[in-house]
Amino acid sequence: MIDVVDIVLLLFLAATGIAVVVLRNLFAVVMLTGLFSLLSAGFFVVTDAVDVAFTEASVGAGITTVLMLRTLALSTRKEKRTGPPALLPLGVVLVTGAALIYGTLDMPHYGDPAAPIHRHVAPRYLEESMDEVGMPNVVTSVLASYRGYDTLGETTVIFTAGIGVLLLLAGRRKRNGQEKSR
Amino acid sequence: MFAAATIGILVTMAMALTRAFMGPTVYDRILAVNVFGTKTVLLIAVLGFLAGRPEFLDIALVYALISFIGTVAVLRFVRHGRQSRRTRADESNEQESLI
Amino acid sequence: MSVVIDIASWILLLGGSAFLLTGGIGLLRMPDLFTRLHAASLTDTMGAGLIVIGLALQAGLTLVTVKLLLILAFLFFTSPTATHALARTALLSGYSPRLTRSVGDDGAA
Repeated sequence: MIDVVDIVLLLFLAATGIAVVVLRNLFAVVMLTGLFSLLSAGFFVVTDAVDVAFTEASVGAGITTVLMLRTLALSTRKEKRTGPPALLPLGVVLVTGAALIYGTLDMPHYGDPAAPIHRHVAPRYLEESMDEVGMPNVVTSVLASYRGYDTLGETTVIFTAGIGVLLLLAGRRKRNGQEKSR
Repeated sequence: MFAAATIGILVTMAMALTRAFMGPTVYDRILAVNVFGTKTVLLIAVLGFLAGRPEFLDIALVYALISFIGTVAVLRFVRHGRQSRRTRADESNEQESLI
Repeated sequence: MSVVIDIASWILLLGGSAFLLTGGIGLLRMPDLFTRLHAASLTDTMGAGLIVIGLALQAGLTLVTVKLLLILAFLFFTSPTATHALARTALLSGYSPRLTRSVGDDGAA
């Protein structure tokens, strides 16, 4: 039954992705992006990653939609019609995708305990995490302690992006405020 | 019994998705996303019981609040974003072409 | 006793799903925004209420039931408010409800 839910959610994701590409009304695209975030958060819950689903819900379905709408107020409502379809980039993308899929045929099975990825540091993290870090959730201890520099870099990137967006939006709003108070 | 409820909720989600793709005006799409959000809350609750782990209800709680706040924020934008952007003439021209 | 609870849960869950499906069909087939709003929001809240109560019966008297009842309270308060806000915004932005049965735009059912 869970497999059926998985497949249906992934089909919805694919359909929403195709609709986002095909539709040219940018307002509708923003709402569909919010829908996409809701769907992927539901998918994360089905695959037992609840903290990721929390983040996806609050960031994707709430804040990103509102920020994109604010940005949409600065530009047009309809996407410009593009020129004739570009065949050379399409060909390059198809060839690269086919090569990548061909490469994945050689990988070990999903979740195989004899795979190399499960033999390097993963057993050490799993066994020593409770003693060294003291957190029952191993994902949190890996994110916050064993790979802490990674998390520091990500937080810096997100903070910079947030400041950039706020500067962009605040500048325009001041100009609009002066126009309105004429 | 949870499987039957799950199938019912998934079919309703498909219908809301269709309305979000099809809806001619922006309000249809906002309505569809709101309905979809409520269905996601119910789906997570029922899936928690289906998988035998009803401890995932916290996230359903978070969704129920966030989807409401998101809907109200979008509506405020639609209401005030247009007025602060267009002049009066543009607005009366726009009333025929509902985006 | 547990058989009674199971039967009650079955009835509530199936009834809630039927309400949700009705709302979904109304969302697709109704001709106008306001009629769709009416169909979707009423059946939404009712179906959600029935399903949540059916799940709460299955969970018994634990913390899970408290969370489920909290979800129900939030849905009861926020869903009609969002519907009202949507209808009010649509009306104030100049979208008038279609009062006559006319063929043409929007796929009149």
